[in-house]
Amino acid sequence: MKPLWTVFFFATIFCLSNARADNLLDGADSGYGEYLSGECVTCHSKDGVDKGIPVINGLDAEVFASIMHAYKTGDMDHPVMMMVANRLDEEQIASLAVYFAALPGTN
Amino acid sequence: MVTKFTRRQFTGGILAGTTALAMPSLAFGARPRVAVIGGGAGGATAAKYIAKDSKGAIDVTLIEASKRYYTCFYSNLYLGGFRSYASIGHNYYGLSVNRGVNVVHEWANSVDTAAKVVNLGHGGQVKYDRLVLSPGISLKYDSLPGYSPEMHSRMPHAWTSGTQVQLLRSKVLNMKKGGTFVMVPPPNPYRCPPGPYERVSMIAHLLKERNPTAKIIILDPKPKFSKQGLFMAGWEKHYPGMIDWIDPDTHGGIKSINATSMEIETDLDTFKADAASVVPAQHAGSIAMAAGVTDGDWCPINPANMTAKADPNIYVLGDASVASSMPKSGFSANSQAKVAANHIRGELTGSRVYEARYANTCWSLVATDDGIKVGANYSAGPEKIDVVSKFVSQGDESADVRKATYQESIGWYEGITTDMFS
Repeated sequence: MKPLWTVFFFATIFCLSNARADNLLDGADSGYGEYLSGECVTCHSKDGVDKGIPVINGLDAEVFASIMHAYKTGDMDHPVMMMVANRLDEEQIASLAVYFAALPGTN
Repeated sequence: MVTKFTRRQFTGGILAGTTALAMPSLAFGARPRVAVIGGGAGGATAAKYIAKDSKGAIDVTLIEASKRYYTCFYSNLYLGGFRSYASIGHNYYGLSVNRGVNVVHEWANSVDTAAKVVNLGHGGQVKYDRLVLSPGISLKYDSLPGYSPEMHSRMPHAWTSGTQVQLLRSKVLNMKKGGTFVMVPPPNPYRCPPGPYERVSMIAHLLKERNPTAKIIILDPKPKFSKQGLFMAGWEKHYPGMIDWIDPDTHGGIKSINATSMEIETDLDTFKADAASVVPAQHAGSIAMAAGVTDGDWCPINPANMTAKADPNIYVLGDASVASSMPKSGFSANSQAKVAANHIRGELTGSRVYEARYANTCWSLVATDDGIKVGANYSAGPEKIDVVSKFVSQGDESADVRKATYQESIGWYEGITTDMFS
């Protein structure tokens, strides 16, 4: 084993895990997110038009995940969104977050 | 076409071999074909998602008679003057141009399930490897005692949107001062459970503005209805004394309907209407009956993927299916379409098939800025589609919450119609 390489390896791992301090996006699978997004886009316009329901295209992935967790815990209060969030596990939320973040937003 | 190896086909030689045998069109390099009958919330969504997600690997043909599709959902808001008629009309250019769906404006006359062919009204044919049936409802006129063809023009059902709703609105606008509007809702099960009661709300809204001494009588064949407490409290608040809901125990059943004299006879009384909407009982759209996938009035489906119990090559979506515990709604159909589309792609191209997840929310407008909603999400159980969790608007909500609910419903209309047609 080359010591320098080992240090670099663990440093990288440390940095990565630090960057994801809350692990909000662990296990994200954008393809799965695309499938799951079918439930979202019945209401959240896929064209990024807000006529009464917020646009979620292009939303920062961590912001997206944080909001969904807030609905899950009841910190944010909306009957439809609490119901939607409650049956999503962490990987599913992460997958949706990464999928929507990659879509062009309205701005 | 380049056949890609996918995880599903890669899982084993036996499976790959079976897949090739089951899909001769794939084996010979032709694109697998999906035909979709019906361009509403189920069919349009299914056609779009299959075409979009297969990225051209599946040939999708949508068969829909109308070139312009008027949604049933929000047709009540047009009745009440909250939406223009034009705003509930949509075309199929988006599916055709953006998604590459072959849109055929024809009636589907019959389905030859052995030959896997749909026979069109003009004599043409559409061949399929998988068929999606999303034909909505047909009306059972013989469910109405005293039915006559005049009923269409004199007591519009307005349950399939379009010109029937325009006709109904004109009847309400032309009622004499202090006249009586009679609503006869359909018996269960039927398309859009809160629909008749939202319709009454919207007609009351119209009459309150233009004909405030008019009355509305609901002769219901059912002892209870969707969001009943919320609707009845809303009627008392916004239209006091105008609406009289009469349950079957009180009126004793509808004995006859006379479209010429506009009289509806019950055990309790004979009601003379100045305008009326009579909605018959319903069954799966006629083409589903013709395809032989119905059991009684509706099509039983497998909850995991929406395939018809009678034919694994046919998927039945929306109102025509027995998708209990889901209600017959546009939202339900849209949700079921995504599950079916994902499964069809898996079957035909070997793409990943995910677990079925279903959802529904039904918004209703009771009066200006007074929106209510009920919803649930669902998973596939062994026998039926099971409720995971649900919610309903509360009776003690503030005016701000009700206004937000209404505004949310406008956003939903934008969302779902974009999802269906673009």
